[in-house]
Amino acid sequence: MVLWPHWLVAVIIIPLTGAVLTPVVGRDRPKVASLWSLGTMALTSVAATMLIIRVAQEGPFSYMLGDWARPYGIELRFDEFSASVAIICLLGLLALMFSYRYVAASIHESRIPYYYSLLLLNLTGMIGFVVTGDLFNLFVFMEILSLSGYALVAISGERTAEMAAFKYLVMGAVSSLVVLFSVGLLYAVTGSLNMADISERLAGVTDRLPVMLALAGMAMAFMVKAALFPLHIWLPDAHAIAPSPVSAILSGLVVKTGVFGLLRAYQIFYGAGNYDLTGLNTALVWLGAISIVMGAFFAIFQEDIKMMLAYSTISNIGYIVMGLGLASQYGMIGATVHIFNHALIKATLFLGAGALIHKTGYRTLTDLRGVGKSMPLTCMALSIGAISIVGIPPTAGFLCKWYIALGAFQAGQPFFGFALVFGALFIFVYYIRMVNSFYFQQPTHPEILSVGEAPLSMLAPVLVLATLCLVMGILGRLPLSFIEPAVLRMLGTFGG
Amino acid sequence: MINALWNNLDYAASIVLFLIGLYAVIAKDNLIKKFMGLNIMETAIFAFIVALGVVDGGDAPIMGEGARAPFTNPIPQALILTGIVVAVSTTALALSLVIRIHKQCGTIEADELRELE
Repeated sequence: MVLWPHWLVAVIIIPLTGAVLTPVVGRDRPKVASLWSLGTMALTSVAATMLIIRVAQEGPFSYMLGDWARPYGIELRFDEFSASVAIICLLGLLALMFSYRYVAASIHESRIPYYYSLLLLNLTGMIGFVVTGDLFNLFVFMEILSLSGYALVAISGERTAEMAAFKYLVMGAVSSLVVLFSVGLLYAVTGSLNMADISERLAGVTDRLPVMLALAGMAMAFMVKAALFPLHIWLPDAHAIAPSPVSAILSGLVVKTGVFGLLRAYQIFYGAGNYDLTGLNTALVWLGAISIVMGAFFAIFQEDIKMMLAYSTISNIGYIVMGLGLASQYGMIGATVHIFNHALIKATLFLGAGALIHKTGYRTLTDLRGVGKSMPLTCMALSIGAISIVGIPPTAGFLCKWYIALGAFQAGQPFFGFALVFGALFIFVYYIRMVNSFYFQQPTHPEILSVGEAPLSMLAPVLVLATLCLVMGILGRLPLSFIEPAVLRMLGTFGG
Repeated sequence: MINALWNNLDYAASIVLFLIGLYAVIAKDNLIKKFMGLNIMETAIFAFIVALGVVDGGDAPIMGEGARAPFTNPIPQALILTGIVVAVSTTALALSLVIRIHKQCGTIEADELRELE
């Protein structure tokens, strides 16, 4: 069962087919659309589980589409990093479940089937993005997930939603084009589009200028996708205005595809072996550190709870990118695991915030004062998320930040270790503000004390995620040791 | 330097086109113009990649009677076909967003929209 070779194709085909059929199946029947998309995602999760079991047993494996050998055919490659399909499927399932009640209240009924269709397409794009071994396919999947992402931001129909989506679209489209340009350059230099193949051929390339240009282009473009500090301007509006389950997916997963793209670019260049990446690493570490501080700084002044969470994403992307840039074993492991853990934590927070907004109709911290008494479970989950994202042990956020800090010392750059702790303090400040207004302040609107707890279809995903935040803190060794061989293989002689 | 540019005129031209598009995206206030800039950038990249596959005196790579080497590399063209599809869908989405923005705010000038916010 586990060894059935076609799981790797199935994990893309199932959600893609499901997404295309959703508007047909769920036409005028929003409930059917919801169940259909949940079923599709459940099937996809089965395929993803099989893949992960296999990669844990025997290491990375490939699937050649149509049995065409590398470099002629298109290769799907599943390595330890691709195991992120687990978190994509998990968040996908929970967000779809959460959407059931949420979109019924906030999106026009005729749009609901399209909403599910777009959400499934977005997830398909991400799954394809992490399992493909072909650079051009990477671009195509990136476009699938970006285009559906722009549409999902606009779907809420609120007044500024289209504007936010347009801003996101322009930044996203420019960065996608730069990726395409870099892919073209790499093709021109190596004559191949297969990542592993390019990596081998790059070692023998003597004219380094176009190759470095391609690397710079990819790094820049993926930084836009990941919303690293100076290139983040599209993120807060888009993530705050989108429907909450979409915010959870965008913030938890879609920005991570930028980081993942960087990771793939690194794989190619580390694999070639003889490229000096110190310049890029230094840039990433600095930009990461600046992102951590600036993201936290902006978040402190936000009144809107979702806006605050959106800025917090910028901080956390900073942590991940910094870990990548440190290029030491611990830093890299911490960064890759933080991709996973931050997705959990941020989804908890966004879905929790979504439940609050759904029940109370308010979205600023002042208006939400006192909500801790009327929605105790949701607020408890939000508090767990807040503790996790600050990185207080024993929660999920602690271990990866600890590893990234260790990585800074291992790389001989202790300054960044301190920057990280400083950033965490900053983050602590504004999450404390949130928790404070939930529990300890007099309500601005007395009627907030009488709203009930969120419905089960919303509460369950939030609580599952909050529990996972705690569990991943305690079982933190599991992902760390899972990803370790991949990182060691990638760093090769570099990190030691 | 001049010689190198002259020999790679196609590449240089697509870079210039790309920068023109980028200028429009950054500097123009009208959302449609912004988007036209983006389309210019797209075309520039497509031209660049198609130009990669051109072989001097190359023939269409269709095997069979009368086929004679050298052949033009078909892969970049196949890639760009996909790229065009992506570009078309981006354009469609952006234009529909512009229509909605105009309906809701009554303007599509970025500076006026900023004031409205």
